[in-house]
Amino acid sequence: MTRVLAPGEVVLEEAWRSFPARTDRAKTLKEAVTSLIGSRPPELPPTRALAGVTLHIDPGETVGVVGRNGAGKTSTLRVLAGIIPLHTGFAGCGGRVATLIELGAGFGREFTGRENMRLNGALNGMRREEIDERIDEMIAFSELGHFIDAPIKTYSSGMLVRLGFSVAAHLDADVLLIDEVLAVGDEAFQRKCLRRIAAHIERGSTVVLVSHAPATIEHACRRTVVLDGGQVVYDGPTAAGLRFYHRLMGLESATTDGLLGESAVLQEVRLEDGHRRPRQVFGSGERFRVVMTLQPIAPAGQVELLVEVRPAAGGVVFRTSRELTVGTERRLVSFDVASLGLLGGDYDLAVGVRQPGEDAPPLFDRVLSFSVAPVAGAEGVVDLRGSWMLEADQIEVGPVESGSEVRR
Amino acid sequence: MLRYSYLFSQLVRRELRQKYKGSVLGVLWYFINPLVIMALYGVMLGPLLHAVSIPDYPIFILAGLLVWLFFSQSLLAASGSLVEQSSLVSRVRFPREAVPAAVVAVQLVPFFAMLLMLLPVSLIIRGNASPALLELVPLVVLLFLFTLGLSLLVAVLHAYYRDVQPVLNAALMPLFFISGVLFQIEKLPGLHSHHWAEPLLRWGNPIAPFISSVRTVVFYCRTPDTPTLLYVAVAAVLSAAFGIALFRRMEGELAVVL
Repeated sequence: MTRVLAPGEVVLEEAWRSFPARTDRAKTLKEAVTSLIGSRPPELPPTRALAGVTLHIDPGETVGVVGRNGAGKTSTLRVLAGIIPLHTGFAGCGGRVATLIELGAGFGREFTGRENMRLNGALNGMRREEIDERIDEMIAFSELGHFIDAPIKTYSSGMLVRLGFSVAAHLDADVLLIDEVLAVGDEAFQRKCLRRIAAHIERGSTVVLVSHAPATIEHACRRTVVLDGGQVVYDGPTAAGLRFYHRLMGLESATTDGLLGESAVLQEVRLEDGHRRPRQVFGSGERFRVVMTLQPIAPAGQVELLVEVRPAAGGVVFRTSRELTVGTERRLVSFDVASLGLLGGDYDLAVGVRQPGEDAPPLFDRVLSFSVAPVAGAEGVVDLRGSWMLEADQIEVGPVESGSEVRR
Repeated sequence: MLRYSYLFSQLVRRELRQKYKGSVLGVLWYFINPLVIMALYGVMLGPLLHAVSIPDYPIFILAGLLVWLFFSQSLLAASGSLVEQSSLVSRVRFPREAVPAAVVAVQLVPFFAMLLMLLPVSLIIRGNASPALLELVPLVVLLFLFTLGLSLLVAVLHAYYRDVQPVLNAALMPLFFISGVLFQIEKLPGLHSHHWAEPLLRWGNPIAPFISSVRTVVFYCRTPDTPTLLYVAVAAVLSAAFGIALFRRMEGELAVVL
């Protein structure tokens, strides 16, 4: 089936693909001959990697793909990249495709970072002139400094990610397929990569991002696809998708006694106003409550709850955490804000549980969206509740509306 | 395809660098191996055993060895090339033909290095330069196509069946002896009693006409006979067409089997 896709369009239709169960196959002639004669050794049934996946991604969309190990995430990406053919169905990406799958594709260990950038760019279909034009930019982006001319066998894994991502980020692809690699870099570089991805999105590139780290998906993707057993089990907005994913993972961890090392999971999170009514839009200065249901799994223990507030534009305005001991019973926990000090706009509220003392960047289980009604006379994110004075004359001009209620 | 010409040149550069990096003698190795073979057989078969009475026998050997080494080294290197580059093949989508093709292109370097060394020596010692030398150009192109086709074939087959390379390794040694590097097939004394053997050796082994035609030009400075030239041209085109077709057919699952 041949069809023309618009640049940036990504399509999977009824995609089926399985793999032989023995990946160490390396069939020898002897085996080939004996299997012709007969007496074939009993073969394991093939592993189904994609079992009828259908996915339509419009140009400019950013889609996160999550799922348990073996759910078909990487296969999806490799099929889209054209590395692996489908058995039945259709897979295709419109326009130019750049892939960033695993560390160090195309990296010759004896070669310098600069040479590897060239090779990697060429592998992704860049012409010589394009590489010449952009290599300085790539090197600057990678922040590898003088290491760029050292053989990459001396690089750390974080440096390899920098190298790989720097090339991928400068490919000007219509479709960017990224698998997991971002997780290796340090946090500052990850953020830079996410910003770069955001810039790609602004220019209209399509991004498909596979990750085990919900935080990455949450930052970069509006839409999330959850795969399980080679099938799409959820396709929709990211916040709900990650909730779905965690339920999927939660079920598993509940049955395996806290596989993830957590002793509790969040079951429900809602936003309430001062009268305990669920709300999505709040006024600045109003009472604001986050109510969570905490379900202990495994034996009772210490957990740390995290709450984070983020403006739609990105970044974090506020984060707090609280350690508490959970018993065996389900319980309600609330985070109560007497007067919401935010200015008008859209916000995300992320809530997560983790083990106390964990060093890893927080993982958020739930992300809820809420809005604050516009406030006259003030712009920004936080209401500082300031007042204007004309100090020289020692005359109080009186408070000017600054977003908080005007006091007389 | 053109988009990837830079990739091809990068792969060639990489092969060249990797091959001789860290060796003290570097490019000199290009010459040492064939010279050792030449000296060995030249002395053994010539003055010691009196088995061959070809004038300027060492140059005769080199003129054929040139072709043989290009052919055999290309096949050997190409057969393992996809497996060695599995990290590329399984992670990026690019025309995979570039990998074995780069390996064959790299073998052109020692080929031309030896040719440049051999030609003046041959011309001075044999003293018979003629316009026939120009025929080297199409012959080398055809030799490249022929070798490329077979290299694509063994490369993709080896990815699926890992004993292709060992089989090749074992087969190349006897093939060397019947390919007429050390003698002219049509002048083998033992062939008089077996009339079927000469055509079999001459035409049954596709690399033999390449060796004899290049040697006819370089060593004898004559134009090879028409049947040989025709054979060489047809073999090159068939090999290239079949190699490319089979590679295209089998490359789909490469990322899975590697």
